[in-house]
Amino acid sequence: MKIPDNFHYYLSMHEECNERLLARAESLRADEVEVSTNHEVVSIKKMVNAVMGEAHRMKAFVRLSSLGASVLYGFFKPRHKIGEHICDHFARRNAGMIIVLGNGRESWASLCREGRIWRDHGGGMTATLEKLKAALHSGQEGSSSDEASCDCKYPSNVEDLWQVYYDSQYCPERKNLTAFKRHMPRRDQEAAGLRLMQNRKNATLSDFLGD
Amino acid sequence: MVTLEKIAHLAEECRFDSSGPVQSASQAGIDEVDIEKLRRLGEGTRHDVCASTYSPRETPLPGICHAFTQDGRCVSLFKTLYTNHCTHQCSYCSNAANCSNKSRAFSYTPEELAGITLSLYRSNYIEGLFLSSGAGRDEDHITEKMLETVRLLRQKFAFSGYIHLKVLPGSSRDHIQEAAKLADRVSINLEAASASHMNEICATKNYENDILQRQRYIRDILSGSSRNCKSILPAGQTTQLIVGACGESDEEIFRRVLYEYQEIGVKRAYYSAFSPQQGTPFEKKEGQPLWREHRLYQMDWLYRIYHFQPDEIRHAFNEDGFLCNSDPKMAIARESMDGPVDPNTATLQELLRVPGIGPKSAQRIVALRKRRPIVSKAELAAMGLRIKRAAPFLKINGWRDTTLEMWQA
Repeated sequence: MKIPDNFHYYLSMHEECNERLLARAESLRADEVEVSTNHEVVSIKKMVNAVMGEAHRMKAFVRLSSLGASVLYGFFKPRHKIGEHICDHFARRNAGMIIVLGNGRESWASLCREGRIWRDHGGGMTATLEKLKAALHSGQEGSSSDEASCDCKYPSNVEDLWQVYYDSQYCPERKNLTAFKRHMPRRDQEAAGLRLMQNRKNATLSDFLGD
Repeated sequence: MVTLEKIAHLAEECRFDSSGPVQSASQAGIDEVDIEKLRRLGEGTRHDVCASTYSPRETPLPGICHAFTQDGRCVSLFKTLYTNHCTHQCSYCSNAANCSNKSRAFSYTPEELAGITLSLYRSNYIEGLFLSSGAGRDEDHITEKMLETVRLLRQKFAFSGYIHLKVLPGSSRDHIQEAAKLADRVSINLEAASASHMNEICATKNYENDILQRQRYIRDILSGSSRNCKSILPAGQTTQLIVGACGESDEEIFRRVLYEYQEIGVKRAYYSAFSPQQGTPFEKKEGQPLWREHRLYQMDWLYRIYHFQPDEIRHAFNEDGFLCNSDPKMAIARESMDGPVDPNTATLQELLRVPGIGPKSAQRIVALRKRRPIVSKAELAAMGLRIKRAAPFLKINGWRDTTLEMWQA
């Protein structure tokens, strides 16, 4: 288990984290966490690792589709409180684009511009996307009407390319479902909306947001 | 928190920033991609290994696996051939000129390939591009096309993802230099463990000149740029071997890999167990078990990460120079450890030689015992040791487990 310098930050995002555990973690030095065999410290380490694991797999598995020229959005329903953390990650990677991640209940929006991050946290993703669409349209007077209509074609096209490429990489003589399942836990695939995408090849915007 | 309206407004202004998003480029051309081409050129790299996309740049690029195939291998890069047309006669390869079961020849254009890479990258399917190729009619021509693809990505589309370029055997020094400027990592596949083995599997490649000499070019480029090495090939050079295509032993492979690490300075060697491909001259040959590949990687780790001496690692080979299908570290420990070690007094090197103790847990043991002595196996287990494997080789404060296992070997 590798303990990061900012383990306190990761611990605070755990779904079962509380004030007492945070205070306990605060009183520990990083090298103490590393070697301690104390029951509670070990369980703090495990919690930190669970959060880091989910964050890592969400950075890997969440897929983004574009809405107009300025928005990338993706389905995302994490167990831990990592919404803002992951949304910022994608915003930094796509500077100048608004990233919206979310599900039927809540959503996160981030924009990275000139090294600074702007954020919003709101209700279901559909509503957030609608609001953004309206705000973006009012800013540029009409010119974007055809852009909006061709949006839905683009993401499914990339998904098709990916599916063909992904299938081409499989070596049947190496079939190893145990390793596959270990690396792609069903729970995380679902949290990133992957199963949804695999089952419905021709998913439309509303399919993503239905959950 | 700011309002969504403000975020929207800020994003619209970004369009006028100099290094704005590249989305318009990434949509170009992907509507007309030939699906059969995508499939065939993708299949052409199925047996190439790309384990990690980590790149120690100034701001390090993390390694992320975006998916795994049902064989449990990671898909983190868009791994493809530029063309599957090839004039080499490698007896194991289904793209080779002498393969009777060859598919139609396909080839990308630089624009097309850059477009697919960008759209997959932006939708977060991949971390970058792994570009290999058949030699085409003319190696230089194909190399130029591959470089043009990468130049498009880096310079026109400001692509900041990971790029791994395969150097075609016999590439010129100038082309290699150019590749080193653009890519995170370059590699040239050894395929065989020695020149004589290479003759057995491919009549058209010269081991010394086409492969080793090109590896030395890359080494010299890297060592010449040591002052600002972070900008030139941050992820260095690697290589790959086919295991068991012509009866070579694991010890022969080990000898070759030692040379690669010590003289060429490769970051890693990859091993790919031979599997016979239909229509090739080797189609009747027996495929190698995947465990052989696994044991070679374990051996590789012992050398690279655990810093075992080559003489110690040789204990793991049997009389014929092969590894058995069991943990080589265990075999080495049985041969070379004089007696159980005490975690309270053993050196880091001694701890690393105990099966079940890895570099991380060895360091933890050293850190913990500075504070207080270690008194129980449970403590060691809590630090991440695989205690069942380690116990027979440990004595804690003079007391040790007696197990039959020690006497069986």
